[in-house]
Amino acid sequence: MDSNKKYWKGLEELNKTPEFVEKNKHEFAEPIPVEEVLEGGSLFGKTPRRDFLKALGFGVGAVTLAACQKVPVHKSIPYLIKPEEVTPGVANYYSSSFDGHAILVKTREGRPIKVEGNPNDLLSKGGLGAQAQSSVLDLYDSNRLQNPKQDGAEVDWDSIDSFIKGELSAIKAGGKKIAIVTSTINSPSTLSVIADFIAAYPTAKHVTYDAVSYTGIIQANQNSFGKAVLPHYNFDNADVIVSFGADFLGTWISPTEFIGQYVKNRNNKSLQSKKMSRHIQFESGMSNTGSNADVRIPIKPSEEGIALINLYNAISGTTLPGSKKLDNLPAENAIAVAAAELKAAKGKALVVAGSNDVAVQTLVNSINSLLGSYGSTIDLDNASNQFAGNDAEFVALVSDMNNGAVDAVFFLDANPAYDYHNPNAIKAALKKVRLRVSFARNVEETAALCNIVAPNHYYLESWGDSNALAGYYTVVQPTINPVYNTRQAETSLLAWSNGTFKEYYAYVRDNWDKKLLALGGLTGLKGWETLLQTGYVKVADKTATAYTTNHDLTAAAQTILAHSAELAGGKVELQLYQSIALRDGKRANNPWLQELPDPVSKVTWENFAALSPVYAKSLGLEQGDVIKITANGYSIALPVLLQPGQAQGTISVAVGYGRTLAGPVGEGKGENAFPFNTFRNGAFIGTAVATIDKTGDQSELAQTQTHHSYEGRNSIIRETTFTEYKKNPYAASGHFDEHKTYSMWDEYDHPTFNWVMAIDLNACTGCGACVVACSAENNVPVVGKDEVRRRREMHWIRIDRYYSFNKGGDLITKESEISQLSDANMDNVSVVYQPMLCQHCDHAPCETVCPVLATVHSSEGLNHMAYNRCIGTRYCANNCPYKVRRFNWFNYWNDARFDNYLQGEHTQLVLNPDVVTRFRGVMEKCSMCIQRIQAGKLKAKMEKRSVKDGDIKVACQQTCPANAIVFGNVNDPNSEVAKALKSERTYYVLEELNTQPGVGYQVKVRNRTELEA
Amino acid sequence: MSSHNESIIREPLITGNNITYAQITEDILRPVEKLPGRAWWIGFSVASMGATLWLFAVSYTFWYGIGSWGLNKTVGWAWDITGFVWWVGIGHAGTLISAILLLFRQKWRNSINRSAEAMTIFAVICAASYIVAHMGRPWMAVYSLPLPNQYGSLWVNFNSPLIWDVFAISTYFTVSLVFWYTGLLPDIATIRDRATGLRRKIYSFMSFGWTGSVKTWQRFETVSLILAGISTPLVLSVHSIVSMDFATSLEPGWHTTIFPPYFVAGAIFSGFAMVQTLLLIARKVLGLENYITMFHIEAMNKIIILTGSIVMVAYCTEFFIAYYSQVEYEQYAFINRYFGPYWWASWSMFCCNCIIPQVLWFKKVRTSIAATWFLSIIINIGMWFERFVIIVTSLHRDFLPSSWAMFYPTWIDVSVFVGSIGVFFTLFLLFLRVLPSIAIAEVKLLLKGSSEQEKKKILQSGHIDATQGAFYKDALTKFDAIDIAEYEKV
Repeated sequence: MDSNKKYWKGLEELNKTPEFVEKNKHEFAEPIPVEEVLEGGSLFGKTPRRDFLKALGFGVGAVTLAACQKVPVHKSIPYLIKPEEVTPGVANYYSSSFDGHAILVKTREGRPIKVEGNPNDLLSKGGLGAQAQSSVLDLYDSNRLQNPKQDGAEVDWDSIDSFIKGELSAIKAGGKKIAIVTSTINSPSTLSVIADFIAAYPTAKHVTYDAVSYTGIIQANQNSFGKAVLPHYNFDNADVIVSFGADFLGTWISPTEFIGQYVKNRNNKSLQSKKMSRHIQFESGMSNTGSNADVRIPIKPSEEGIALINLYNAISGTTLPGSKKLDNLPAENAIAVAAAELKAAKGKALVVAGSNDVAVQTLVNSINSLLGSYGSTIDLDNASNQFAGNDAEFVALVSDMNNGAVDAVFFLDANPAYDYHNPNAIKAALKKVRLRVSFARNVEETAALCNIVAPNHYYLESWGDSNALAGYYTVVQPTINPVYNTRQAETSLLAWSNGTFKEYYAYVRDNWDKKLLALGGLTGLKGWETLLQTGYVKVADKTATAYTTNHDLTAAAQTILAHSAELAGGKVELQLYQSIALRDGKRANNPWLQELPDPVSKVTWENFAALSPVYAKSLGLEQGDVIKITANGYSIALPVLLQPGQAQGTISVAVGYGRTLAGPVGEGKGENAFPFNTFRNGAFIGTAVATIDKTGDQSELAQTQTHHSYEGRNSIIRETTFTEYKKNPYAASGHFDEHKTYSMWDEYDHPTFNWVMAIDLNACTGCGACVVACSAENNVPVVGKDEVRRRREMHWIRIDRYYSFNKGGDLITKESEISQLSDANMDNVSVVYQPMLCQHCDHAPCETVCPVLATVHSSEGLNHMAYNRCIGTRYCANNCPYKVRRFNWFNYWNDARFDNYLQGEHTQLVLNPDVVTRFRGVMEKCSMCIQRIQAGKLKAKMEKRSVKDGDIKVACQQTCPANAIVFGNVNDPNSEVAKALKSERTYYVLEELNTQPGVGYQVKVRNRTELEA
Repeated sequence: MSSHNESIIREPLITGNNITYAQITEDILRPVEKLPGRAWWIGFSVASMGATLWLFAVSYTFWYGIGSWGLNKTVGWAWDITGFVWWVGIGHAGTLISAILLLFRQKWRNSINRSAEAMTIFAVICAASYIVAHMGRPWMAVYSLPLPNQYGSLWVNFNSPLIWDVFAISTYFTVSLVFWYTGLLPDIATIRDRATGLRRKIYSFMSFGWTGSVKTWQRFETVSLILAGISTPLVLSVHSIVSMDFATSLEPGWHTTIFPPYFVAGAIFSGFAMVQTLLLIARKVLGLENYITMFHIEAMNKIIILTGSIVMVAYCTEFFIAYYSQVEYEQYAFINRYFGPYWWASWSMFCCNCIIPQVLWFKKVRTSIAATWFLSIIINIGMWFERFVIIVTSLHRDFLPSSWAMFYPTWIDVSVFVGSIGVFFTLFLLFLRVLPSIAIAEVKLLLKGSSEQEKKKILQSGHIDATQGAFYKDALTKFDAIDIAEYEKV
């Protein structure tokens, strides 16, 4: 628009006065005294106030700008061209397998950060044990070898290859033996590689050596049925389970699988159909399994065989020669009860024994045969390949080596210099072997004695397969490029045997293409790709047939009785066992496992000598006294743990500790108990006659729980018997005494979601897998033995374990009353486990006391923790009745004193990038895996749907092999958690405080008659 | 004030012959104006070593984290909050003396209020240092203040007793400081008037231009009264609020409605004990026996036995209520308190606070300087144990037995506490050197009416009832600074 209007700002402009024109020549109305300021004299001259302010303003501004230097940029995602399959922030999952379990490996930006169960896994249905959960950390172990080694010096693979090939051809020419010593391998491809190697070097032999072996069972099956196999046990088919020292929920054969089977007959679903299995355990040390048993009878190792003979007699109605009554009256009575119940449950009964003695297992076979267990609870046709160790073969190999008959020995996943019962014999024998090759990933005890260490890939870097159960084949695929200059053992063996395949991947492909894919109805590349996605193929089970045996037991009985007499001859009977966390000690350098409290003793970071309190008192020993245990000419000094339920006159020691070359985490933790093993009747036996001496030293055990009874506080623990439960399901949960409650606070609205949890105390076996899973998911720091001693472990979820004692049908739970109990009643221990985590109270005591609102309630029923706001007054932790809040006493993630655990060069790569690590001085606690909730909600949103029940699984729930933990939205009445919380057994811990917890517990039920209770 | 004679049966508040206004000034200002003696130097060396230890221990804590203390996941507070409550409690005697006794026209407070108030301020400083030191992230301490911020409307949590604490302690410190300093003004002016050179300049500045005019004095009196009025509720409120840190929680052993009055009584109890500890030595070393007399000591002892007995009743009430409530956690907490692993702490507390102070019912003990000083130390120890017992024995075994744990202090815990005593004494000894330890102006008010020499004149004049005279003379026997032989002839 054309306009010739002129706007003026003042009369001066309109009139264009000379002063106005003069002034408008310059940009600023008043001249800036730049020159004046810059002139030297002005420094001394009087600066006008305005100029001073200007100069000051400019100065401050300039300094501020100058100070705004760019922060150094770390290119944390260095992709120039984004790989197609990697989206920063989005996890990729790969199917793989661990110990024969199908698993999913979660990777973020190319690095594996978590192992999760494959929901379709045949063995544990998506659950995983602590070992598998912790396995991801070992990938980043900075203690791993970065290059192959020859005579202690780092060399390259070519020189290793040429050296070994040269040696092997010389040895082949010499005609002496070659041995490949491995722990059990059930990988069809690896076995095939070894077979190829043996074909290339005919003097070679594959010796399977397990640190903790099941030779006894395998041999016994050979004796009884002519089938040298480890059977597949089906605890889910058993109505009555009697176990003699078999820790099948903790360490025996396939515990993660057995937990699922076992709990199936004891969980909510089973109870609601008024069905519950019965479990009687005879054992010396208090095992995880024994602590879950309905009835647990402590017996000495020397009594175990006799008890089994008497059970056989009672069931068969015959009397084996040499049979005698036990001195142990409760055990004798319990055997009669067990025999009657087993007979009544014929076809649905199962007897298992933990002993590795062939004679004992032969006797057990006969008992099971009488009970019709074969074809029902025991499956010999679809055998387990999880353990195939042959103890006698390895012993023979050691003597061969000693005789100079062996020129080459290869160790794959076998560390006999640590776990053989006579490590000195191994050391001496290896000196006489010309070529000693270890595939160990770090220089461990055996590798240190080898001239070649050819470090193997970790399973997360490897191709492979495994075949834990007959007909169940799982695939192992790499999830990351090899971290170091390592090479898969199979590739090495292929290279040394001059086979056609150079790469093991091609070999595996070939093996599957030719043999295994077809078993799952798959073919070709497409089939292989399908396999990589599903993770396994399963051949339909053969029909389990009902085997019976009429094997003559006279010889077995004589062997058993002779061994018993020998054991009983000494003063103290020693029993070895595997701890839940460390098992055979191969993963001793894993800080998550070292800090995982033992389910029963709650001890971390070391092994100990478990003695019954009564027995310890008679010896004048107290907890923490260091005693010297001597047996079989070997002795170690360990601190005493007072273990209620430990058989009198016995001492239990865990193997797997006392590694001397494991890495900074595992070394020097506890003492090695493997040398207490003896080799008898062709198998390693973990019982011995021992003597104990006081050393006068004291060593405080790092226990995460030091008070062991629940003081009659039945608003914490509620338990009942199955009989009572059947009469009135509500009886123990306290639902009958509903009363009106009053509240000071406004109720929170939970309009969309109300995230809650239900935990079934009857399903939880206390295994501790959830603790490790939570640590891995939520970057929970490891704090070490000293900090645990100071009671500062950081676990967001812990498993409380309470003992109670039976006295004529009364449950004694108060410390003051326990101290008055007679010695006999002290043996009568019941155990209850209670996973304890933030209860996400609707009336959270922590929230009201936080001065800075660092912990607040969400509209989804969660109790949030804002780390950035926390100033660390610890008031919330003091006021938390559940004591689930954890304070960062030190900067665990960046403090040199804790650098052994998770601060290694690569260890921090295992951190979950969705969860921040916490700085010192702030409080933390269970967040109900809020990152998973958020991810689940976002996923649903992107898929334009609402969140479905089961979309979101928290880490502890996901890994629980017993499915004891159910998480979900209680606003959805059809959700699993809403249904679980409606159970008659549901109660809330410390309900009377009206904290309105979000976690409901279900009453523990014991299948016990009133008399036993 | 001196226009009428005070009743002869009232004991004198100033002893000694030939006490004049000038003499009072001389006596009280001697430590300020002369070079310090050997006793002061020894005391100051020890105290400043303690302060250095505190500095080191607190720095160590800040550098490495709270983990350098012996706390754990079950016992989240121990020596830190014990020390905090102990120091806050000690402060209370000063406020009671300066404010409540002023309102009640207890003239004997005039001799002791200055030191007692100084003690309050230094004790609150020590307590406040604990508030910051016990935080996991002390550099974020500012979050505990209700300041406007850029996080939308992120405010402090007004439900939290710790926030009440922040208000209570800061108010307490401010009011105490202002009250104390206001009282100091005429005395600083006195120093100023007698000083020369730089000292004169400094004291001149510090005296805020005090002129000594009638109007100034009138305003001074008014302000003192107003501040006393403001301070008075603080005597009750501050420790009530501190007690609510515990009382409003869920912890068995903390969740107790008796806490506010019980804590206030305990605070006054411990505060007077600390006043005794300090003044018994100060009066001797600084030669102030004529101003801080046996009457003062006995009067304070009487308050101690009263408040101590209240505390004892509170202990018994707690125990009874635990039984009567039939709450199993509460019952266990109290049985565990006296018969659990910390029995020795609880019985130390009970002996030091309840049983041993009962000897104060005997006049001989009340008027014995040695016994009083010994008892004051016992009570200080006992009151420290009281807070330790309340905090640690309640926390270490609360609801879930799985989490029960013991607390073992580390050398850092001990150093922070011992060091805080060092800080306190360093400040107190510096105070004695630079400011008059007795309110000169206020003591002068007593000279014409309540001093021994005035009363002696009355006695000598003979215009009094003989029995009253005899009573008075009898009362004088307990004074250590009075030569009773002088009275034989009158």
